[in-house]
Amino acid sequence: MKKYFFLLLIALVGSCTTTKNKSKEINIYSQRHYNVDELQYQNFEKMTGIKVNVTKANADELIQRLKNEGENSPADLFITVDVGKLWQASDMGLFQKFEDKSVFENIDPQFLDKNGFWVPVTYRSRVVVYSNERVKKDDLSTYEDLANEKWRGRLLVRSSSNAYNQALVSSLVANLGVENTFNWSEAVVKNFARDPKGSDRDQVKAIAAGQGDIAIVNSYYIGLLLSSEKEEEIKAGNAVSVFFPNQDDRGAHINVSGLALTKNAPNRENAIKLIKYLTSIQAQETYVNNSYEYSVNPSVKPDPIVQEWGEFKKDPVDLNMLGIKRDEAIRIFDKTGWK
Amino acid sequence: MEIVQKYITNRRKLIFSTVFLSLFVILPILALVFSVVKIDTSNFQYLWDNLLFEYSLDTIYLITITSIFSLLFGILPAWYMSTNEFKFKNIYDIFLYLPLAIPAYIMAFTYSDVLSYTGPIQSFSRKYFPDFADLINQDYLQIEVLGIIMALSLYPYIYTACRLSFSLIGANYINLSRSLGMSRLKTFFKIVIPLSRVAIFSGLFLIIMEVLNEYGAVKYFGVNTFTSGIFRSWYSMQDVETASLLAVLLFFIVVFFFSIERYLNSRYKFNYTPNTKKFKNEPLSFKNRFIIHLVCLIPIILGFLIPVLFIINNVIYEFSRIDFIKVFNLTTNTVIISLIATLIILVIAVYFQFLKRILKNRTITFFNEVISLTYALPGAVIGLSLILLFTSYPFENELLIGSFGILVYAYVIRYMAVGISPLKSSFDKHPSSYDDTAFNLGMGPTKLFRSIHLPINKSAIAIAFLITFVDIIKELPITLILRPFNFDTLAVQTYEYAIEEMIPKSSIYSLAIVMLGTILLIFLKKIVNKEIDVPKSK
Repeated sequence: MKKYFFLLLIALVGSCTTTKNKSKEINIYSQRHYNVDELQYQNFEKMTGIKVNVTKANADELIQRLKNEGENSPADLFITVDVGKLWQASDMGLFQKFEDKSVFENIDPQFLDKNGFWVPVTYRSRVVVYSNERVKKDDLSTYEDLANEKWRGRLLVRSSSNAYNQALVSSLVANLGVENTFNWSEAVVKNFARDPKGSDRDQVKAIAAGQGDIAIVNSYYIGLLLSSEKEEEIKAGNAVSVFFPNQDDRGAHINVSGLALTKNAPNRENAIKLIKYLTSIQAQETYVNNSYEYSVNPSVKPDPIVQEWGEFKKDPVDLNMLGIKRDEAIRIFDKTGWK
Repeated sequence: MEIVQKYITNRRKLIFSTVFLSLFVILPILALVFSVVKIDTSNFQYLWDNLLFEYSLDTIYLITITSIFSLLFGILPAWYMSTNEFKFKNIYDIFLYLPLAIPAYIMAFTYSDVLSYTGPIQSFSRKYFPDFADLINQDYLQIEVLGIIMALSLYPYIYTACRLSFSLIGANYINLSRSLGMSRLKTFFKIVIPLSRVAIFSGLFLIIMEVLNEYGAVKYFGVNTFTSGIFRSWYSMQDVETASLLAVLLFFIVVFFFSIERYLNSRYKFNYTPNTKKFKNEPLSFKNRFIIHLVCLIPIILGFLIPVLFIINNVIYEFSRIDFIKVFNLTTNTVIISLIATLIILVIAVYFQFLKRILKNRTITFFNEVISLTYALPGAVIGLSLILLFTSYPFENELLIGSFGILVYAYVIRYMAVGISPLKSSFDKHPSSYDDTAFNLGMGPTKLFRSIHLPINKSAIAIAFLITFVDIIKELPITLILRPFNFDTLAVQTYEYAIEEMIPKSSIYSLAIVMLGTILLIFLKKIVNKEIDVPKSK
């Protein structure tokens, strides 16, 4: 009995020390959990023979982990679906600068980090979808207009703990100021059809179910619904249309999914290879066709389903603002009762 | 006492070893408390002003609903099971345990899909019964619905406790009460429930802890519990100290209730002689039979059959795309890590119970209670506390964070109490004259343990092993926060797909958890039945 216990103990202590990185590896902390990502890593492994190790978790957890691990962090790359988190981690000094010009040539300059820490991979818009039955397209105009009384009891959106909502409201704080955004949020909360809950797709389903008429969701979720194998989900996707707000002024809110080299990336060279791969035309096309996101490379066209919604004007606000204004956005949520 | 003194020469060392082990288990709580010292109160003030009241209300409301339904689903079937004979009784008895194999978050995601607008029920009725479809077209992501769903996966704690208690009360009291002219209903409320109060409370306590521990499902349903507050400060506000303060507060609230439970437990020490006297077997009327079957079948159907059938249906639908190698690997991961953690827990727990018994030392008894307290920490809080611990002086060890070892350590902390409780009652049950006699006959402590305590507590050790194992297999929040690179468990994979609404994709992993749990629970059931010797009135 004793002997086994000691053996167990030795095994445990042995497993406590993570194996030192060999040069044919790369370690990623990623918030992205779409199927397309596994596909990308497999392709990259085939091309380069570099093994991709991934720890997937929510961005906040990963940032805490990077911070706590400090110099000893095994991670080379940090990937998120929200630029706010990229700014936050760079602000905390967790990244190193990335300045490879050959990568930037393929990317629309609007999406680039002014400080040179993170690299965008895809972008998406947080749009308004509306019921084809109960809402006319002309009734919609801007995010600001969602505060209008005519939407009382008709608006659906998920919880304020969701990063996409935090980014949207951060963009409003950046564009309109704290006070205006506060008033906006207060009125929007009054317009809720129900307490915020569920995911973006649930909001669309709720429109199909008649529990509300308009919803704030990320664009690619509609693509995912429309390409579903379930007849009922396609029907739900077809019950709504996509509307890009603020087309007559600053443009629709966008957010990027991006990555950055960690401060002490132990496999820096391999990580740079992966960054180059993920921003290449081949990988960008893989993203666009599997996850219904938009490519940061202007020459890569969206998936046909997404193309049908047409082109749209994008809010040109500095994307780092989506992180800088996040604290204020969260306080506005809490104070105006956006659950 | 004197006899023991004579034979155990290294008494001090032994006591010291238990204190040392306890510190190992409660270290994270200390880390939290120390972190609170550095707090900047402005964030706490902010939470207090804006959110905490609502979070507390939601927490209490959710706990209330879950408790009420768990009591309903648990007590009534246990009562009928213990006092009546009817068809399928033995099958029902096993099935009533099985919802324990389905983690609450899987139950919640499954039901939200089953009930959703695009789910099978609503789609079907839209096609064939449009009027009915309008009626059931509701928003099911409600706190009340969540409470009932959680009750469906947690009621077996009550059922188990009641089943055991009712069978220990035995037929004597009940037959007597019936002979004295009390109605069934009156007997139930005046005799059975008061006598089982302690058992019911301890089951309820476990349920409340599970509700506080819940994270994924609660978030999805838009319900903000106290645990959400901890995350709000930790993540959204980047304020670890405020998060720690909330965790410490929660801990003390729970410990307070825990102590009340303990106090009641000690005050109402019933000494009923277990008896196997036959129940008066009155022939049941058709109406009563119908009610009994209904009462037993509702929790079985809702808590086990529907979710499992739905999961299986999804597995069939996804079958051609299932990566069986991955399923196999994740199952192996889950089983190995759960097994290691369970064994460590058992070794520590048995060591404590044995020393407590032969040394009869207050320090050990005290620390035995203390190490059970960590069950009052939600898993996510244990994750937070270990990160705090290993990033602060003098325990800084970055290599440990995100390693296999720390994950096992966290499991050990969280589930120590689960392993201890069955062992404790079994070790306390046997008269201490066993030990005295053994010592007098010249047995050393090791021999005493091996030839007496190990065999007589065999069932309890098996029970402790099985319930701890099942719990760790289902564990989610700790694993999410602390797991190493490329290391996923079935629970983590299920959650990742489910939260992205890829329920069909998650189904094979859910099914693996449920199957593992089911097999273990059936074993458990067999042992428990042997142990309590459920009176059979045939």
